Amino acid sequence: MKKSITITYVFLILLTVISGIISGAINKNISFIILLLSALKFIGVSFYFMDLKKAHTFWQSIIIGYAIALVIIVLMI
Amino acid sequence: MKQTTINYSNIYYPPGGILMWIIISLELITFGMAIIAMVYCGKQEPDLFHQSRMLLNPVYGILNTILLLTSGFCMAISVHYLKINIPQKSKILLLVTMLFGILFLLIKTFEYNEKINLGLDINHNLFFTFYWLLTLFHVIHVIVGLVILGSVYFGLRKEKTNIEDVEASASFWHMCDLIWLFIFPIIYLFF
Repeated sequence: MKKSITITYVFLILLTVISGIISGAINKNISFIILLLSALKFIGVSFYFMDLKKAHTFWQSIIIGYAIALVIIVLMI
Repeated sequence: MKQTTINYSNIYYPPGGILMWIIISLELITFGMAIIAMVYCGKQEPDLFHQSRMLLNPVYGILNTILLLTSGFCMAISVHYLKINIPQKSKILLLVTMLFGILFLLIKTFEYNEKINLGLDINHNLFFTFYWLLTLFHVIHVIVGLVILGSVYFGLRKEKTNIEDVEASASFWHMCDLIWLFIFPIIYLFF
């Protein structure tokens, strides 16, 4: 368990640094990529730090659904 | 310390407890709606939001994200040590968790001070109204989280706290991470 938390942490830091680096790039898809990376971090924290991977599918669906819905709504506006 | 075995796969017992998850869900919905409102307003005035966003230093945002993630990592490991019955390491990591939370607040204070000195207060424009409201509400949650973690730490020292209390507190702390993970890109990188 400790190993999976540590691996998740390394990935989260990497994704944060990547978000910062690519935010300066001029590309029409950059907003989507930044939001996608945030959604991945969101799911990483909830599933591994909050141990949601052991929880009932209902709670897992709520978190994944929330992240997907927020990204889609923000991109649709 | 009282030890109990919890079946997390039961819908009524998510890690941290169902009441904490109801709170987390409500908080996520509230902040989510505020983020959507900010993006909607940003689309009405894209130039204003872009120019205002350029007045922010994303390094503060990235640094704060790293601090909160590190804090969340220490909290997760602290809960892990408590579950395998190594309370000493758990208590030390709980203190490290709080330290990173305090560092987050210090950087935020420094950033706020800089913005106020530049005249970028809550009335400056719509972008900064959202900036102050979203980040300040988040800071309030971090402060409440620190108070809860402090109470859990003293409870652990006196062996009055059980694993369920620690998990519920950890869930609240991780919720601060979750909220920040969407506030950070929208405010510092999106526009």
